[in-house]
Amino acid sequence: MHIFLMLLINGLAEGALIFLMAAGLSIILGLLGVVNFTHGVLFIWGGYVSIWIFSMTGSFPIAIIAAVAAGFIMGLIFERLFIRPVYGNVTAQILITLGLGVVFTDMARLFWGPNPIPASRPEFMDGTWVIGAVIISQYRIFLIIIGILVAIAINYLVNRTKVGMVMRAGIQSPDMVQALGINIKVYFAGVFAGGAALAALGGALYVPLVGSVWSGMGINNQILAFIVIILGGMGSFYGSAVGSIIIGLTVAFVSWFYPPLTVYTTVLLLLLVLTLKPEGLFGMAVRN
Amino acid sequence: MPMLTNILRKKPALGPGMWLFLGLFAVLILIIPHITGLTTTTLLSRIYILAIFGMSYDILRGYTGIINLGHALFFGGGTYIAGIMFSRMGATLDILLLAVLVSMVFAAIVAYIMGQFAFRGSGFTGVIACAMITLAFGEIGRHSAETLREYTQGADGLTFRVPLMFQDRVMMYYYALLFLIAMTLILRQFVNSPTGRVLQAIRDNDQRAKFLGYDTKKYKLIALVIAGMASAAAGIMFALLTRFANTELLTVQSTLNALLYTIVGGTGTLYGAIFGTAFVQLAQNYLLELRGIHEIFSRWLLFFGAIYVLVVLYMPKGLVGTYLQLEEKWRKRKIAA
Repeated sequence: MHIFLMLLINGLAEGALIFLMAAGLSIILGLLGVVNFTHGVLFIWGGYVSIWIFSMTGSFPIAIIAAVAAGFIMGLIFERLFIRPVYGNVTAQILITLGLGVVFTDMARLFWGPNPIPASRPEFMDGTWVIGAVIISQYRIFLIIIGILVAIAINYLVNRTKVGMVMRAGIQSPDMVQALGINIKVYFAGVFAGGAALAALGGALYVPLVGSVWSGMGINNQILAFIVIILGGMGSFYGSAVGSIIIGLTVAFVSWFYPPLTVYTTVLLLLLVLTLKPEGLFGMAVRN
Repeated sequence: MPMLTNILRKKPALGPGMWLFLGLFAVLILIIPHITGLTTTTLLSRIYILAIFGMSYDILRGYTGIINLGHALFFGGGTYIAGIMFSRMGATLDILLLAVLVSMVFAAIVAYIMGQFAFRGSGFTGVIACAMITLAFGEIGRHSAETLREYTQGADGLTFRVPLMFQDRVMMYYYALLFLIAMTLILRQFVNSPTGRVLQAIRDNDQRAKFLGYDTKKYKLIALVIAGMASAAAGIMFALLTRFANTELLTVQSTLNALLYTIVGGTGTLYGAIFGTAFVQLAQNYLLELRGIHEIFSRWLLFFGAIYVLVVLYMPKGLVGTYLQLEEKWRKRKIAA
């Protein structure tokens, strides 16, 4: 029983991290109709920047803020220079974001070296709670809380604010929104950069969990996020939240009992869902 | 060079000057291994083989409009199958034939399963789902090669011997050349066949092809199976050339290499892949030689990505496509004048 509880918490923490990536991807896909293969790279940069700033300042919150800021700025630059010329051309978007991924992964290697850099958890969250036979890592609880807070914040932003209203209207009819005197391009850039910042936040929070940062960690997590997106239904925010939890739990349980099967299980789960429900669990129409 | 255009447009109507040029070029290609060193010979053999990998991608990207991010699975699969069979069962010609057979069956089956899931959607979301699902398939392949250490030696890579007749570098050059010519003819036949025409219709407008009564998913599956088999064949040739396989061959980067060959050369031209591969490989070699001047030149991936992004943004038709376009414009201007 205590193993079950521990894995549940591990899985939810894992799910929270995947969610940070998947939520950004999902919103970018839903509003902009852009599939962003630079998400894995933003994840890596988030991790490296947080370690770098942490080693200079020794402050965990500052490191996290720096990583998020770095992700946001990279997102703005990517959107302005590379994504904007290819809105509406899915193939070119996939190709360009893949190319950017290659460049920025190698840049990370150039700046921080090819070897993994060890990272430690912030002291105030390094402890564990022992309840009966269950050992709970404080950092994982922290991740779950962050995941929930981000989900609530996004939900509030999209469904309860004026900004969110413009975003939702932009999904329906960007030209109409533009005609009403709202500069939809600013919103597009903001959404892309926001998604990028979430990916960087995910990277920055992932590094203390696994204890090191290396340039190969992006692709694995990006694939998990993609699986979540398709599993949950493309462009569905709730879908990506539920999908993240499912995939997080799956990864935690399978990797506890038989680690080599983790990758196969997540993909098999995806194929199973696609067979039974081709549009994904919460599938709905995405802007064409 | 209007005659070159004719060749590229697959309707050769050549004047005597062009025949002379082509003849000289053919002679040059044939005697190159005897007038240059081993390095150049091997580099060219490599280009010939990788060009088929690129061409197989062009069947997908250029002729069917599919982005397959797990294409390395077929190429790397071919290399690994040949390598594992050579190292376990001996490096003889019989085993090579068996390896060809096994890898063709492997490629066909994997392509079929991959396509069943990847080609579910259509239109905008279909393209995205296809890219993501093929990426997941490709990662399964890489992951398997890394975990099945007993057969693949994991990340260290697998070194193996090849049959005697492929051990001579100069002879290997001619085999690679022969392979390039044969595969080019086969694939050209395929893209110009009625099936190939349907694929192009799907690329141009998926929905219209569907409304015309074509089972687009079936045609996409055919394209993926053919491309997968061609790519696995190139993988086997690559095994014979390099006598080494590592998991690098199965990464997304390996797929992106093939993608770069086709987009630099020009998608939807088939021949473009040959020019693209030559350009990319020669550029890589040249930059590596500049390594002594500045350390930055050893970071090939930076240049790889930069070329990639620039080509997609500013030269989406690639070398051959842009040439054909300029040629067209030039001819129209001549007619107008």
